[in-house]
Amino acid sequence: MTSPAEHEELDLLLGAYLDGELDPFAARRFEERLANEPELAAACEKLRSLRVTLRSGLAGEVPSDALRRRVEGQFAPRPRDPIRSWRALAASLVVGLLVGGGVMFGILGNQAGMPVRDQVVAAHIRAIMAPQPIDVASSDRHTVKPWFDGKIAFAPVVVDLAADGFPLVGGRIDVVNLEAVPALVYRAGKHLISVVEIPASPISPVVTSVDRGFESVTWGDGKATYWAVSDVSPDEMAAFVKALRAAVPQVPAS
Amino acid sequence: MPHLTDAYRLARWLAGSRADADDIVQEASLRAFTAIDRFNGINARAWVLSIVRNTAFTWLSRNRPSTMVFAEDLDGAARERMENAAVTDGAGPETPEAAAIGRSELEAVRARVAALPPAFREVLVLREVHDLAYREIAEIVEAPVGTVMSRLARARRILIDQAEKAEGKRV
Repeated sequence: MTSPAEHEELDLLLGAYLDGELDPFAARRFEERLANEPELAAACEKLRSLRVTLRSGLAGEVPSDALRRRVEGQFAPRPRDPIRSWRALAASLVVGLLVGGGVMFGILGNQAGMPVRDQVVAAHIRAIMAPQPIDVASSDRHTVKPWFDGKIAFAPVVVDLAADGFPLVGGRIDVVNLEAVPALVYRAGKHLISVVEIPASPISPVVTSVDRGFESVTWGDGKATYWAVSDVSPDEMAAFVKALRAAVPQVPAS
Repeated sequence: MPHLTDAYRLARWLAGSRADADDIVQEASLRAFTAIDRFNGINARAWVLSIVRNTAFTWLSRNRPSTMVFAEDLDGAARERMENAAVTDGAGPETPEAAAIGRSELEAVRARVAALPPAFREVLVLREVHDLAYREIAEIVEAPVGTVMSRLARARRILIDQAEKAEGKRV
């Protein structure tokens, strides 16, 4: 049996694994342990279901309109008390941060000049050169998908393609047109494939292009535009895209 | 980026009531105003949350002194007692019986979180409600990452033990 100290150590490790805080190698080693130790797997399941309860139990709170007005109202300039311009600027910054920070990003978003394909390929190249290509390491899509909650405004498509030979490695946030978007990373042999999902798109057919050894494939299903980027062979890329499109619900066949 | 929602949620779980949370968020926004020149322009959300957190603690110790017991202020034995109390007698507004009978699981977990010692509650809320990384939480609560990890683990252990206890009583 485990000693109390070892028990505590395991608690920390379990938590770090579920919170996506382990590096890819530690996560993989831990997943091997999980597969071989039923007791550990049971503890993991308990923590996972606690998380589900907590997230639905605690998240429903929203600020009242009255509070919104109070926060906005306390920075409104009073007629007899003209505030200096830097104070007005600071006040609008605070109101902006608290009440409507999104506006700035919306405006800047339209000014980004680089084509989306170049941005997506650049993010992939940067990712494979970084110490680790992902921010959350897990082959379990039930760990990867919730990691994006709160970071981006929609739930990205995360599928299990291990049976097709493309196991999930993890996920990260990429930035396209100055908006944070989810990138899922799958493994194909020794290569990695990044799949970036950009919300709100028309239905568009599969388009493939190659630049400096990186192939990018894009298509839209009416809900999102997907970009798959990798340096795998064209045949493997085609097989991956086919498997991904087959696994994503409600994607019209090409 | 609705940081007001983030600010309110943290204040709500630190304060324990909606009315107090409103007052804390309003005071925090004034503090943010006077400290805007210290904002580094990078992580606005974490910056707002750390101001809310610090405002909440000064506001609560001024207006609700009885709720403010910090694990780090206690000696080892007292801390042990407090943590064990949280486990054994369901410490707070909720008895295990009340949790088991007629209350939904979600309400029970809300009451249990509300009864956690503040130092455990804040890391749990920053992790599960705000979905921050350990590193960000560590900055906001001004503690080492290792401390954040162990408080988070303790908080989860307490909640699981309480849920199992309530479950056991029901059968």
